[in-house]
Amino acid sequence: MTLLLQTLIFGVLIGGVYALMSSGFTLIFGVMQVINLAHGALLILGAYLSWWMWRHTGVDPLLLGVGTSVIMYGVGWLLHKAVVSRVQRIDPGLTLVASFAVAIAGEGVIALVWGTSRHSATPSYFNTSYHLGSLIVPKAQLYACLGAIALLGLLFALLHGTFLGRSIRACATSRDGAALVGIDVDRCMTQMFAIGTATTGFGGAALAVLYQFIPDSQDVWIGRVLCIVVLGGLGSLGGAAAGAVLLGLAESMTSAYWDTRWTTAVPYMLIIAILLVRPQGIFGTTLRREGAPA
Amino acid sequence: MHHGNATRRWMRAITAASTAAALTLTACSSSSTGTKGRSSSGPITIGMSLPLTGPVADNSKGGYQGYQYWADEINAKGGLLGRKVKLNVLDDGFNQNTAIADYTKLIGQEHVDLLLGTFSSFLNLSVAQVAERNKYVYIEPSGGADSIFARNFKYLFFAQPATTKNLPDRFVSLIQSMPAAQRPKTVAFVTQDDPNTSEAAGLFKTQLAGLGVRSVYNSTYAPDTSNFDAIANSIKQANPELVVHGALGDDGPSLIRSFQKVGFSPKMLFQTNSPADPSYASSIGASNTEGTFTALAYSSEAPFPGNSAFVSGYTAKFKGAPSEDAANSYTAGQVLAAAVTAVGKIDQSAIADWLHSHTVQTIVGPLSWSSSGQPKGSLLLAQWQSGRLQIVAPSSAATSKTVVYAKPAWQ
Repeated sequence: MTLLLQTLIFGVLIGGVYALMSSGFTLIFGVMQVINLAHGALLILGAYLSWWMWRHTGVDPLLLGVGTSVIMYGVGWLLHKAVVSRVQRIDPGLTLVASFAVAIAGEGVIALVWGTSRHSATPSYFNTSYHLGSLIVPKAQLYACLGAIALLGLLFALLHGTFLGRSIRACATSRDGAALVGIDVDRCMTQMFAIGTATTGFGGAALAVLYQFIPDSQDVWIGRVLCIVVLGGLGSLGGAAAGAVLLGLAESMTSAYWDTRWTTAVPYMLIIAILLVRPQGIFGTTLRREGAPA
Repeated sequence: MHHGNATRRWMRAITAASTAAALTLTACSSSSTGTKGRSSSGPITIGMSLPLTGPVADNSKGGYQGYQYWADEINAKGGLLGRKVKLNVLDDGFNQNTAIADYTKLIGQEHVDLLLGTFSSFLNLSVAQVAERNKYVYIEPSGGADSIFARNFKYLFFAQPATTKNLPDRFVSLIQSMPAAQRPKTVAFVTQDDPNTSEAAGLFKTQLAGLGVRSVYNSTYAPDTSNFDAIANSIKQANPELVVHGALGDDGPSLIRSFQKVGFSPKMLFQTNSPADPSYASSIGASNTEGTFTALAYSSEAPFPGNSAFVSGYTAKFKGAPSEDAANSYTAGQVLAAAVTAVGKIDQSAIADWLHSHTVQTIVGPLSWSSSGQPKGSLLLAQWQSGRLQIVAPSSAATSKTVVYAKPAWQ
C-alpha cells in the first residue's frame, strides 16, 4: 500500500511538472492554431537563463524563474514579430517548419553561448524531501508542481478575467468576427504568443532544478510536450494538465509495477489508445472551422 | 537525440549529409596540393575521417585535437622516418556510408601513406573492414564493441588498454580481496539499455554471483529516461549493499539525485562512464561523490611515461585539459609512430606483424594486442576521494593508496 501511495505521489508531482512545461504550447495552439516546435528550445533557453542567473547571483532559481519569464516574454514577442506573423501571412502551415528551423538555430545559438557541457541548478533543496511517515515528497518537484498550479491559475484568470483575455478568446473563436468588433487581432496574437513563451521562463527554471540539461535536451522535451497536449486535447489548458498528470502517473506506475524499460514508451502507447478512442484528446473539442476566405 | 520525431531526424540527417558533402568537397579541393600517390620523399600523409559535424561533433573535437597535437609534436621532433607528418582529415558527419567512402577515397585516390582511425564502434565497425580489405594498418582510438574484433582482422588495433569485456575485472578483484565478512552480500543492477552498458552489467552479474553476492534488484531502463525517483524507490525497497549502475551520461547523477531524495545510500556504488564526466561533481554536490567507483580507459593523472607532458602541453595549446577522446587519439598516434619507427619503412604488413608481437609504451599504459587486435590489458579502477577521481588499481598506476570501502551517507 505504501509503495502504491508513494508511486502515486511521484506520478502526480511529475505530472505537475509536465503540465508546467506544456501549458504555453497548448495555449499558443488553442488560440493561434500554431504548433510551435520551438517550444522545447525555448524551455531549454529558459533553463539556461535561470541557471546562469542562479550561478551569478545565488538567488533561488525558482524565484529567478519569474524574471526569466519576463525575458522569455520579450523573446516570444520578438519571435512572433520577426518570424511567426510573417510566415503566417504566406501560409499558416509554414509556421510548423519555421518554428522547427527556429528550434535548430536556437539550439546552435545556445551551444555557442553556453557550450555543450551538462548543467543543472542545485539550490539547497534540489535533492531533499519532506517525509510524511514513510512517504516521501521531493521538495523540488513539490515546489515546481505548486508553481504549475499557480501559473495555470494565472493563465486562466488572464483569459477569463481581463479585457486582453476576452480579446484573445474572441480571436480564438473567430478572427474576422473579433476584427469586426474592433479588436486589434495582430496585437492580440503577438501578446498571446509572448505570454505562451513567457511560461517557458518558469518552466525552464523548474527544469534547471529538476534535471540536467544540454542544448540537445530540447528534443526530449518537445517530444514529451507533444505527447501531453495530444493526450489532453490540443489547445485545452485543463486538458494539458490532465494529460500531464496522466502521463506522470503512467510513467511512475510502469516503472514501479511493470518494467522500467517500457517507461518512456508509455506516452506513445497512451497516444495510440487515445487517438483510437477519442481522437480529439481527453478534453479536446471538435469545432466547426471558419469558412475559407473568398 | 533519442526522442526526436522522425521529421526532425530526417532533417538532421539531410543537414548532416549536406554539411559532410560540402566539407568533403572542401577537403578534396584543399588536399589537391597534397601528396598524390605514395612517395618516399616529402611528407608522410596520414589519412583519417572524423565526425567533425553531426550529432557527436562536440565529443570528436577533442579527438581531432589529440591527433593534431600528436602530429605537431612529432614534427617538432623531426618527423617520422625523417619526414614530416601531414594529416589528411575528412569529415564523415557521423555517417557510416560517408566514413566508408572517405576511407576508400583516402586509400584509393589520395594514396595516403598511413591511416588513423575514427571514433565509435558504430563507425569503426564498417571502416575497419575497408582498411582490412586494402591491407592498411588501422589503429582506432575508440570502438571497443566485441563485434569489431570478432572478425579477426590482421590490420586492426585498438588504442585503449581494454574493451568492455574487461570492464568489471578490477572492481570484482577488489571485492574478492575484501575479507568475506566485509564483502557486500547483496547487489542491485540498474542499467541503461545500451550495448556497452548492458554487456558490462551482464559480466558484473556473472562475476559477482560467482563471489556469492546475491542479486536483489535488476532492471534496464530506456536511454531517454529522465525521472529516476520511482526506480530509486524500488531499489530502496530491495535494500542492496552494493549498487552497480550501467550509466552513460546524465543518468549517473540523475539516479544519485533520486537516491538522495528517497533517502537511500548504498554502502558501495559502482557506475560506468558518468563519474568521469566533468559535470559529475557539480550536478550531485562534490561531497556526494565520495566513495563512488568507476572504470577508466584513461586518466590525466596516471603516472605512465609521457602522460604528464601530454596533459600540460595539450592544455597549453588548446586552453583546456585533454578529454579521454583526445588522449585516445594521441595514443593511436603513439602506437603508429612506434611501429613505423621500429619497422623503419612504410610497409603495412610489417607494421601489423610488429604490433602483434610487441608492447608499446603509451600514455594509457603499455599496450599489446591479441591476433584480432583486442588489447590485452585492463581498465583502471578509479574512485572519487576528497573531491578528486583517484586511481586505486592497478597499483602501478595508482594515485591513491587508500580505498574507501564504505561509501559515506549523502550530505
